[in-house]
Amino acid sequence: MAVPQLLNDIIQVLLQLAPAASLVALVLAGLSLRREGGTTFLLGGGFTKWMLWAVVFITLVPLLGWFSSFGVATPMPSGGIGTAWLSSFQSDVSNFVTNFIVGRIGTTLAAYFVLRAILDAASGGHPLPSILAAMFLLGVQATYSLIQSYNTGTQFATADVLDSLWNYLAGTIMPIAAGLAIVGAILNFATKRPAMRLVAVALAMLCVSGIWKLVLSMEA
Amino acid sequence: MSFTNGILNLTNWAGNVILPTLAALFLAIAVLRFARSESYAAAMYGAFLCLMASGLLRAMETFASQRAWNDPDVYWMSLVSLVDWICNVLMPVYAGLQVAAGALRMGIVTRVHPTEGWLRHFVVAGLCLLLSGLVRLAEFFVAHGTAGIQ
Repeated sequence: MAVPQLLNDIIQVLLQLAPAASLVALVLAGLSLRREGGTTFLLGGGFTKWMLWAVVFITLVPLLGWFSSFGVATPMPSGGIGTAWLSSFQSDVSNFVTNFIVGRIGTTLAAYFVLRAILDAASGGHPLPSILAAMFLLGVQATYSLIQSYNTGTQFATADVLDSLWNYLAGTIMPIAAGLAIVGAILNFATKRPAMRLVAVALAMLCVSGIWKLVLSMEA
Repeated sequence: MSFTNGILNLTNWAGNVILPTLAALFLAIAVLRFARSESYAAAMYGAFLCLMASGLLRAMETFASQRAWNDPDVYWMSLVSLVDWICNVLMPVYAGLQVAAGALRMGIVTRVHPTEGWLRHFVVAGLCLLLSGLVRLAEFFVAHGTAGIQ
């Protein structure tokens, strides 16, 4: 029996809305990042949850390939969305997410986080968590493109993207964060606060891959 | 706009713009503390460190690249390099400073007596130059301790 056109169109709409859902998940991840600390995040917390969903939405089509390997046929509808109002709905939602949520609301929230950083400092807290969350929100579009570039399109695409994100964190972000740790260590030293911990952390940030190999060799 | 560029520029700004500016502030704090006979060393050395943030990061990068990136011993070797650098490069320099301080104090204080402060400077200088030997001595004691008392 042929699949009704409306059902095919609904499937197409949902699949084509996956990138928009991924962008929304990234914005929510930015908000969770500030709530959970900013300079760190909880494994199993809101940030990791929304990042995982962002990755899942980006790799949704390759992920569906698993159903075929389980013996469940998942015929993907080809072509565009035939029903005009559904096509219009998909286009409107995508535009809303790209132009309003990411383009405007994300930027406004980032501005609020910058304000929050100043207020945090005024109340004796640290401004860095809010600044980092603001930077994450401003970079949502670039982060989305980065995750998309890691998509291998295979059944393992979700795991591949998560692996690549780990490599990106360990190889790109952590060496830069080591510089911030050194700056913190200097400030702590000058103000007679504990500085050695940050020096050890800076070294660890430069050796993340080595520490991972160390854990692997301990496990073997 | 990307998160990588943001955090990179933030680090550059903090390390190359803000810290050199704060160096002057820390020097002023050191002078004020010195005037009130308070401990000024942290502010003074902090000011110097503020001017050396990039150099210190390069030093850390050198320590962390003593082994291949995927070597399990890379963190241990980076800590060894850090300790080696502190004990065999910085401490001898500090020994030189202590010798100079001791000589100055000896020249200013007319009395020559072992309880005078100048002796402490020379003892510190000697200890700074003997750090490796002291560690070897402690290792010798521990090694003989495990063997039991004969």
